[in-house]
Amino acid sequence: MRRLRRFFSRWQNWIAVLLILGFVIVAVAAPYISPDDPKQPGPFKRVGRATEGSPLPPSEKAPLGMLPFGMDVLHPLVWGARGALQFGLIVTLCTAFFGVLYGAVAGMIGGRAGGLLMSVADSFLAFPVIAGVVFLHELYATTITALGGMYFTSPYFGQVIEIVGPMTAIQWLLDRVNPLMLSLIVLSWMPYARLVHSIVLLLTKTEFVQAARALGGSFFWMVRKHIIPNSISPALVLAARDVGGVVLLQATLTFINIGGDSIWGAMLAQGRGWVIGPGGNLLAYWWVFLPPTLAVMLFGIAWNMLGDGLADVLDPQMT
Amino acid sequence: MPPFLQFVIRRFLVVPVSLFMISLVLYGGVMLTPPEARAELYMPERVNPNLSDEQLERLHEKIIARYHLRDPFPVQYFYWVQTLFDGSWGYSPSLNQNVLPALLQRTPITLELGLYSLLFLIPLGLANGVTAGWRRREGYDRMFRGLAFLGTSTPTFILALVFLSVFYINLGWFAPERLSLDFTLELSKGEFVKYTGMLTIDSLLNGRPDIFLDAWRHLAMPIFTLSLYHWATLGRVARATVLNERGKEYVIAARARGVAENSLIWRHVYRNVISPSLTSMALSAASIVTGVFVAEIIFDFNGVSFIIVNAMSGIPDAPAALGFAIYSIIMVLLLMFILDVLQALFDPRVREGVLRS
Repeated sequence: MRRLRRFFSRWQNWIAVLLILGFVIVAVAAPYISPDDPKQPGPFKRVGRATEGSPLPPSEKAPLGMLPFGMDVLHPLVWGARGALQFGLIVTLCTAFFGVLYGAVAGMIGGRAGGLLMSVADSFLAFPVIAGVVFLHELYATTITALGGMYFTSPYFGQVIEIVGPMTAIQWLLDRVNPLMLSLIVLSWMPYARLVHSIVLLLTKTEFVQAARALGGSFFWMVRKHIIPNSISPALVLAARDVGGVVLLQATLTFINIGGDSIWGAMLAQGRGWVIGPGGNLLAYWWVFLPPTLAVMLFGIAWNMLGDGLADVLDPQMT
Repeated sequence: MPPFLQFVIRRFLVVPVSLFMISLVLYGGVMLTPPEARAELYMPERVNPNLSDEQLERLHEKIIARYHLRDPFPVQYFYWVQTLFDGSWGYSPSLNQNVLPALLQRTPITLELGLYSLLFLIPLGLANGVTAGWRRREGYDRMFRGLAFLGTSTPTFILALVFLSVFYINLGWFAPERLSLDFTLELSKGEFVKYTGMLTIDSLLNGRPDIFLDAWRHLAMPIFTLSLYHWATLGRVARATVLNERGKEYVIAARARGVAENSLIWRHVYRNVISPSLTSMALSAASIVTGVFVAEIIFDFNGVSFIIVNAMSGIPDAPAALGFAIYSIIMVLLLMFILDVLQALFDPRVREGVLRS
């Protein structure tokens, strides 16, 4: 209770919570705010003429204006909130869960075996996310072509995929999970493991854990009762910041066309040629880039602020 | 042998071990695909594109037999590792070139960008973080926290777009790509000797200050966008460490002895900040390398990242992707090694701690 009061005594935390609530509300209410067109499923909706190459300013048909080729700005903006929240939360929950468990187990085992587990985690640290995404993506593409299917990307049709025959393991995997999500989960659990591992090493020396062991507490009982509750708060801080971080990374990789599928990032990529208006004026076509930019930045800021706020409450010495 | 050298050697031996573990994981990923797809990794150079399906199948079978692609994991892995040492790393159809030469040829470009960014962000991040921590809750600290906060929550590409519009189009100070068109043409004529492949060094060796300046004009924006995020995280760690250190007894003792404030920060406290800060950097080395590639792509640098941009936008190219993965992992491992050595250089506890264990 005291922590809760302390948390809400700072205005930054109010902003963070309100912003995140706002994103959640928009994500949940997306079908009401900007209804899906049954003829054009998916996050992008054409409301203007497809031949209109330049972005049109806000009008009645498109309250926030249009991207080039008559695409609505509001629709992907709203549905992007849903995509971003889903992506950020799924990735973070998976990595945090696995990382905390891994670190706790490695710390409890201790000795040589625990050290070996941690050095496996450390070698994962050397794997950059960008390489993982490209690697998975190309394996998928090669598998399809090698089995007689078709895979190519073209400026007109986008990705063309045709699968012949039964799916292999990697086809099945990548057909359901996107490669960026998979590589982020596989490649970002190590900080949690390291954090929890270091806490566990400190905890196992404390008297209450020694006492629990002396009382005959089983391995998993001690992990569940003592280790996880004591290491959960620093992991929570890390996780809150991660939600924003992975969504920013997703948007960045989408923008440079390296296998992300962030809706906000795709909006910016579509309007890329119009971001800088004539004479270097950033505001000439503001509706092309300002809404998705603000959405991405506010999303990152909100989760970062939440992380800072949590860190302040859970570990007040460090701020 | 001096303990420092001993530390360096011991630390360097970790690199191949980590590489081995990661390569097991990598090849584990490759193993998910059927043998026919794995055969694509070993395709010879210049396959006739008009091969019939039957001929292609026969070629695949031949490769599968030669590299034991239907055998269990350890056998396959062994044959794959062998091919890594033949100096080609497979033939990439999208580059029309062997992968390893393509990677090495572009390395100086990426290295130039990465090295200058690190040289820029590490001293600055440490200095700003330490000062902010020392002057907690003062104006300097507030400004640092605000900037660091913006730095960690602004996506690189948005920063890049803003920079392009302000510094390239409006002010004309900096420019994207690697070099202006005139100089690029001049370079291709062949009078300019390429000693290292890094433009900033080569231009000086060739006695061309104009090219040197131009290269910096083009490096400035990518370096800055790339550095901001890591500057912010490094600075935050440094700041947090200072907050931890400044209540310690040695600080009080030094102050009681009448040590001047400035020398107290930069001689006593600073030394204790370097070590944890560099550790946190080494832990995020992979994200720094990712950042280098992203900055390259956004500013059209055509460095090593050109290979993946190419692979992602056309025909499937597994050899290029696998080669790029190994290459970037080696880069990260080397970066971690360098940061750890730097840390040991400043902090005797680190080098002696390792030797004792």
